Amino acid sequence: MEKKKSLSITGILSSMFSGWNWVARCLYLFWNICSLEVSGGLVQSCGHIIPESPVLALGSNFTALCILNESCLDFGNIYANQIIWKIKNRVVPKEQYREINRTVSSVTFNDTSSLATPLTCNVLADGQIEQNIYGITVTLGLPPEKPKNLSCIVHQLSKLTYPMTCTWNPGRHTFLDTHFKLKYRWPRENFPDCIPKDANNSCTISDVQFFVNLEVWVEVANALGKNESDRLVFDPIEIVKPLSPHNLSVNSGILPTVLKLSWENRISTAVMKLKFNIRYRIINETNWMQVPSEDTASPRTSFSVQGLRPYTEYVFSIRCMKEDGVGYWSDWSEEKTGVTTEDKPSKGPSVWRIIDASSPASWTVHLMWKALEPFEANGVILRYEVTVRAKPPPFHPPLKYNVNTTSLTLKLPNRTYEVTVIAHNRVGASPPSVLLIPTSNSKAPVKNIRTLPKDGKLWVGWTAPNGNVLKYVIEWCLLSNSSDCIMEWQNEPGNIQGTYLKGDIKPFKCYLITVYPLYADGQGSGQSVKAYLQQDRPSKGPTVQTKKVGKAEAVLTWNHLTVDEQNGFIRSYTIFYKTIDGNETAVSVDPSKTEYTLSSLTSDTLYTVRMMAYTDEGGRSGPDFTFTTQKFGRGEIEAIVVPVCLAFLLIVLLGVLFCFNKRDLIKKHIWPNVPDPSKSNIAQWSPQVPAKHNFNSKDQMYPEGSFTDVSVVEIEADDKKSFSEQDLKPFDLLKKEKSTSEGHSSGIGGSSCMSSPRQSVSDSDEGETTQNTSSTVQYSTVVLNGYRDQTPVQVFSRSESTQPLLDSEERSEDHGGGSDSTTQRQQYFKQNCGQDENTDRPCFEIAKQIIPANEEDLAGFAQLQISGQSSEPLGLGLEKSTQEAALSDVLQTSTEGQTVRYETVEGNPPSVDEMPKSYLPQTVRQGGYMPQ
Amino acid sequence: MAAADTPSATTLRRRDLCSRGIRLARKMRSDVADLLDIYVERQGLDASVSVAAVEGVPAAAAEHWSEQTGTQRLLDNLAAYRAFRTLLAQMLEEQREQLGDADAALGRALAAVLLQVSAFAYHLEELLELESRGPPGDEGDGPPAPPRLSLFEQKLRGLGVLRELAQWAVRSVRDLRQLARPGPGAGSAPGLAEGQ
Repeated sequence: MEKKKSLSITGILSSMFSGWNWVARCLYLFWNICSLEVSGGLVQSCGHIIPESPVLALGSNFTALCILNESCLDFGNIYANQIIWKIKNRVVPKEQYREINRTVSSVTFNDTSSLATPLTCNVLADGQIEQNIYGITVTLGLPPEKPKNLSCIVHQLSKLTYPMTCTWNPGRHTFLDTHFKLKYRWPRENFPDCIPKDANNSCTISDVQFFVNLEVWVEVANALGKNESDRLVFDPIEIVKPLSPHNLSVNSGILPTVLKLSWENRISTAVMKLKFNIRYRIINETNWMQVPSEDTASPRTSFSVQGLRPYTEYVFSIRCMKEDGVGYWSDWSEEKTGVTTEDKPSKGPSVWRIIDASSPASWTVHLMWKALEPFEANGVILRYEVTVRAKPPPFHPPLKYNVNTTSLTLKLPNRTYEVTVIAHNRVGASPPSVLLIPTSNSKAPVKNIRTLPKDGKLWVGWTAPNGNVLKYVIEWCLLSNSSDCIMEWQNEPGNIQGTYLKGDIKPFKCYLITVYPLYADGQGSGQSVKAYLQQDRPSKGPTVQTKKVGKAEAVLTWNHLTVDEQNGFIRSYTIFYKTIDGNETAVSVDPSKTEYTLSSLTSDTLYTVRMMAYTDEGGRSGPDFTFTTQKFGRGEIEAIVVPVCLAFLLIVLLGVLFCFNKRDLIKKHIWPNVPDPSKSNIAQWSPQVPAKHNFNSKDQMYPEGSFTDVSVVEIEADDKKSFSEQDLKPFDLLKKEKSTSEGHSSGIGGSSCMSSPRQSVSDSDEGETTQNTSSTVQYSTVVLNGYRDQTPVQVFSRSESTQPLLDSEERSEDHGGGSDSTTQRQQYFKQNCGQDENTDRPCFEIAKQIIPANEEDLAGFAQLQISGQSSEPLGLGLEKSTQEAALSDVLQTSTEGQTVRYETVEGNPPSVDEMPKSYLPQTVRQGGYMPQ
Repeated sequence: MAAADTPSATTLRRRDLCSRGIRLARKMRSDVADLLDIYVERQGLDASVSVAAVEGVPAAAAEHWSEQTGTQRLLDNLAAYRAFRTLLAQMLEEQREQLGDADAALGRALAAVLLQVSAFAYHLEELLELESRGPPGDEGDGPPAPPRLSLFEQKLRGLGVLRELAQWAVRSVRDLRQLARPGPGAGSAPGLAEGQ
């Protein structure tokens, strides 16, 4: 109960403190408070609401009255017409108000669903200030519905304890405090009510008595009313759920197909007679079997279950209920197991063979048979008896083997055999299993073998051949790259044409299945088929690569996917190729192919190609491969090069012909005739008589004892070649010291195109230039010996000189004795490159450096010889002219104290005939030149 | 429950009452036997002790039992079970006074037997109503107020009550069988067969 009496007289007065008379009103308030205190209370309500805190049914109508006290009327000028009704803070529309008289106002709600707590009665003091007079709490709810679906059950908890639990549907939620009571009674005796605890829909009576009708019903009540359920009248014995039998035991009987169950009932026969259900199953199976209920419909404490498999462990359970079927079944009892005794095997094992006929004369027969299923073995198989009889029977008795395993390998002569296998357990032997092994599988095979995945298993079917097939043998094995084909097999009767493979058939694996028909007198050849239980996309795609790439075509090759990668039957390949910025083109390829030629490609273009392999379930792409087509096609280069070469050759040929025709003209302008010095007069001049002054001169230059080595250069007068320029230049210099000119090597009539811009020395005689240049020295050999301790170097140098070695006869005539000494047939040079063999610079280099172009150079040369202390390859010509004497003096002076000697070997001059005439390079040896 | 006007309904009702009465008497016999074991044990008595006839406890034995009519059998049974109801209620009260709630099992067993006695009395009353006889009034039919006994005497009397009740349970089964059986002794309900 909640009351709001916030508006008192003081409150009203406080709202009236306005205007001129507020002081007077304060005084009145003070007086009033004092008077209230005297009368026993501080505040006094100006009104109240009727009804006080009602409990209302949802959806009903409701009227409340606000009654003002008379005292407030006089003092605060408050009347009923000033009353404002509010729900929480929401003002109730005026339309719902009614002024009953000047002190009573009512408010009406047609639907209490719009009500809320609190409902307050308020007034507007002075017409604007809202003051609360009274408030009530409204409780909304629903009256209780009639409980429905009352039902009861008696659970047996012990032999003497039978509590009864009744449940019912309490109906809708009432939003109010609602009480349920389960009431029960005998016709002439009442029992205390059962009050539910923590629930509103069930209650348990601790103990009930049987065989007397009990009247049961439910009463429910709340602030808005009460209700009760329909009444049930029943004997509690009819709703008992008894305890299940206990102490169940299972005993093996005499027969291998019987087990005897025993148990104890936990309800007195005085209370009820029972019937039973017995269920059982093989221990590793899930499906229960049940003893026919009519066999166990009478009270009992034992039962023999028959028709069981021998040597099989069974699980049993039992339950009970009232014999007449009125009431409830008990729960199933605890499970107990029992094992039937053994019996002899019910059938022989299935037999098959693998024959290795690699040897022509004999077979290796691998016999194998399947272990019997437990329901066939009927016990523990102790051994197998295998008998092999040759057919027709030979003289010797059949072979017999006792084995503990399920296979036997025999080496037998190549003929027909009948194999019999018998399984033995402790009780006895199985019927024999017979397998005929003919010499050849000559009988009709099955036809139209096919497979079909079905229900997670692989079904294989075939069309039976014509003939009486005893049975079929289905072989299968998993094809894999990583393992061998491990064969599995199964027998099927001869009257079927399809079966499921009995084994662990894996999805995405390829199986090779072979079906053999077995006849009474032979065997048909096996027919095979490949199958998948379930296919998938290939695990990878083919790796494609190019075998040959042309200008507009490319030959692609790939390898087939391995069987482990296929995951299904490869139905097709698709080649995708594209350029870098082009669209991808797809080409479908037959799955049997491993090569394909892409055509119509663009030349000199980078292509990316990949390949997808498809099974029925989809495809997978292999890696990308890129290649570039060639710029030129096959033969295009040849087509260009060959004509060009031919044209070139033609031009050359024409040029040669032209030159040949114009050879005289060309010769005249390019290589005019040069007189052969060997045919000059000087060649016929006697070389055996050297000029005295030459000897003297040499003696002066090369005093005896200063020779360290002797180099001999043979100058053959009639040889078309002459001494090298370097050999002769100094000589020429000596001879023509005043005619030395500076210029390039080509000089007048120079023939060497390879001449370097070095100084060359040419004959300064005018008018003879043409003839002088007509004789050139092609090669010269500079043979140097190490000077002193310098390392000798052999240098071959192409002569660039265009200077004739000797003047023509005409010139020699012109020069007379001036050339006596230079036209000797043989000249001998002794050249000493120096005493110091450790000189770093080779003689040749130095020689080149000292080639002077004029007199100043020559003077410098002499100076260089002195200061350089090096062996200079000074080739000295046999200059006989007197004007050279001065130069000889110079040389004499320059070589004083030096080791350089210029000497003409006189004492042992080699004859011209003895000396081979050659301009081949000379071999340099330490200590001298080797004569050629 | 309402009495049927038709004979067939009366017959069915009578058969049902007899059948369930017999089963109730059997269960009562079984429960009383169990209760006797508990009672002897909890009260510290010797199961072989001989108890003289207790005053106020009706004897099950009857002379010329086979000559009794059905109504007479019902009346004898009703008188006996009304007496047992009073005696068992008294025993229950005494047991609670002596042992309090310490021996709830004995109390529950006594209360259960008391309920069964009441239920069986109800069966008898119903059968008597079917006999158009109507049950006699309860007042004065019960045993006289027992004299104040010593504790041991209370135990012995209780033992005597239970033993006699067990006897009466057996007799009641036979009486109801006799009532259910067609024949002169079956009262006015010939053709009834024993239910169970």
